[in-house]
Amino acid sequence: MTTQSIETIGEVGIKRNQFNLLVWISERGVFVFTALLVLFGVIFVNGFASLINITDVFYRAAPIGIVAVGMTFVVISANYLDLSVVAQVATAAVILIGVSNDYGLPLAFAVALFVAVLYGVVNGIAVGVFKANAVIVTLSTTFIGLGILRWLSGGSIFFGPEDGPIRAFGQAKIGAIPLSAIVLLIITMILWFVLTRTNFGFVVRSFGSNKEATRLSGVNTPLVVIGAFVITAISAMLAGFVLAAFSNTAVSTMSDGYDFRALAAIIIGGTSVFGGKGSVLRTLLGVIFVSVLTNILVLSGIGFGLQQMAIGALIVLAVSVDALARKVTKK
Amino acid sequence: MTDTQPMRLGKETVGVVNKLKVGIARRTEGRGVALLVIVVVLVAILEPTTFTAYSVTLGRIALIGLVALGLTAVILMGELDLSVASTLAVSGVIMASMPNIWLGVVAALAAGIVIGMINAFFVFYVGINSFIATLGMLFALRGLAFVLSDAKPVRIADIDAGIAFGTPLLGPITPRVLIFILAFIALQVFLSKVRAGREFYAVGGNRQAAFDAGIPVRRRIFTGFMISGFVAALAGVINTLERTAADPTAGSSVLLASFAAAIIGGVVLNGGRGSVLGTLIGAFSLGILQVALTFSGVQVDIQDIFIGSILLIAVISDPTQLRSAVTGIRSWFQRREKSQAHT
Repeated sequence: MTTQSIETIGEVGIKRNQFNLLVWISERGVFVFTALLVLFGVIFVNGFASLINITDVFYRAAPIGIVAVGMTFVVISANYLDLSVVAQVATAAVILIGVSNDYGLPLAFAVALFVAVLYGVVNGIAVGVFKANAVIVTLSTTFIGLGILRWLSGGSIFFGPEDGPIRAFGQAKIGAIPLSAIVLLIITMILWFVLTRTNFGFVVRSFGSNKEATRLSGVNTPLVVIGAFVITAISAMLAGFVLAAFSNTAVSTMSDGYDFRALAAIIIGGTSVFGGKGSVLRTLLGVIFVSVLTNILVLSGIGFGLQQMAIGALIVLAVSVDALARKVTKK
Repeated sequence: MTDTQPMRLGKETVGVVNKLKVGIARRTEGRGVALLVIVVVLVAILEPTTFTAYSVTLGRIALIGLVALGLTAVILMGELDLSVASTLAVSGVIMASMPNIWLGVVAALAAGIVIGMINAFFVFYVGINSFIATLGMLFALRGLAFVLSDAKPVRIADIDAGIAFGTPLLGPITPRVLIFILAFIALQVFLSKVRAGREFYAVGGNRQAAFDAGIPVRRRIFTGFMISGFVAALAGVINTLERTAADPTAGSSVLLASFAAAIIGGVVLNGGRGSVLGTLIGAFSLGILQVALTFSGVQVDIQDIFIGSILLIAVISDPTQLRSAVTGIRSWFQRREKSQAHT
C-alpha cells in the first residue's frame, strides 16, 4: 500500500493513463531514437556496420563521452554548462605529451591534475561563491585557459614517442572495443555511483531542483557547486589523456567543439538544463546517439558546417521538447 | 546591512553635495569608469601611440561598442544573446554572396532581424532559458556560416565600394565610427526617452510586475532580441565592407570583448539596471586596451588572457552579488570561530 501511494505522489499533475507525446519523448525518446538511428545506419549507410567503423566510433566517442558524463554534474546542479572543457581537454592533452616527453609520466599526471583542480575551483568559486552566471564565467575561463596554453606551447604540435606507454594505451584493444571506451565505461560507473548513492550526489541533485531550499536545509551550497565543477574538470583531464593517447599527438586546437558535442549528448540523453533531473547513464546513451549521428553524417560525406548546424539545431530541439513537456506536466 | 535606519525623506537630499551623492549612488557605471581611468593612465605612459593613431583606436572601439550596444538592450531585460558572434559572421557571408552591394546589405540586416526573432521565439514561447537557446543558435549559425561560405572567405562583388567605405569622411570619422555614434544616440534616446524603451527596464526588473502593469512583455522581448540581431548584423556588414571579404570565422574575439564592455559598464546580468553610457565607457576601455596591446606587439593569445580576465572580474564584481558573496564568506568565518570557541 505504501509504495502505491508514493508512486501516485510522484506523478502529481498528469493523470495516469493520459498519454502525452512531448512528455514521452523527453522521458523515453532517447532509447527509441538511438535504436532507430543505429538501425538506419545499418540498413542505409554504406560501411557503417563494418568492424573497423564501429571501432572508430568507439575511439571517437570515448573522449567526448568522458567529458559529457563529468559535465552532467554541472548541468544537474542547474548551472547550465561548462564551456571551458574545450580548454581543459586541450591543456591536459598538451601537458600529458609535452611534460612526459621531458620529465616523465608521473610529473605529467601531477601537473595535469593540479591544472584540472585549479580550473574546477576557479569556475566553482566564481559561480558558487560569487553567484556569477556560469556561461559567462566559463566563457571567460575558456579564453584565459586557451590563451595561456597557446602562449606557453607556442601553438606547436607535440608528438609522443612511438614506443612509449601513451602510444601503447591509445592502441590497446579488447576485441573490437578500444581500451579508451572501457575507461569511459568505468568512469561512467564511478560517477553513476557518486551521483545516485552518495551524499554529495544527492545534494547536487537537490541543489539543482531547488537552490534556496537546499541552502536553508544547512548544506554548504558553494562547496556543492565547486565539487560539481571539479568533477567536470577531472573528467575533462582524463578525456584529454584519452584523446592524446589516441593520436599520440597534442595541440591546443584538438578539442574544438567538445563543449557543444558534450552538451548535446547530455541534453539528448534527457538530463534537464533546468537542473535537478538527469542521470549519468542517460548521458552515456546521448553520447552514443551523438557519436553515431556524427559518424553517419561523416560517412555520407556531409561537411563540417552542416554537422555543426545539425548538432546546434538538435540542442535547441531537445531543450524545446524538455521545456514544453515541463509546461504540460505543470498544468 | 543589519543596522536598520529609519527611511530618509525629502529634506536631507536637498544640498548640492547630497544631491550629487544620491546621483552617483544611482549610477551603475562606477566599475567602467574605474577601468577606463586605469587603462587610459597606463596606456598614456606605456604606449602613447594608441592615442596619436586615434583613427585605428576609434575603429576598434566602434566595432566592440556596436555589438555591445545590441547586447545592452537584451541584457537590460535579464536575457542574454550569445548568438551575436555567429550572427555577425552569417550576415557578413550573406552580404558578400549577393551580387549587388545594396541588395546584400538589405539581405544581411534582414537576416539579423530574423535571427533575433527566432531567438525571441524560443525564449518567450517555448520557454527556454536564453543562455541555452542562444548558445544553440551560436553553434547552429556558425555551422550555417561555414555552409554558406564553403568554409572559405567570400569576396564581396563590388570591391571599390568597400574601399570607399573605409575612407574617413571628416578627420578621424570613418563611416564605421559615424554609424556607431548614430547607433549610440538612437539607443540612448530609445531607452531613456521613448516609452517602449523605458519599459525594457521594467521587464528586466520584475517581469511579472511589468506584465501585471499592462506592459506588452512579449513585444518588448521580441524588440530586444531583434535590436541585438540587427546591430550584430550591422557590425557584420561593416566588417565585411572594410575588409572587402566575409570571413565565416569572424566574431569570436568580438564576442568576448563586447560582453566584457557591456558588463563592466554596469549592465546587470539579472536585468533592470544599466545604461547605454556605461556600455560606451566599457567599449572605450576595452578598445583602447586591445589596440594598445596590439601596438606594443603583444600576441593575440595574451590579449585573450587580458580580455578574458577582465570579463571574469567584471562578472564576479557585480555590486549586488559581491555584497552577498562577502556577507556569505564573513558569516562562514564567524560560524567557524564560534565552533572553534566551543571546542
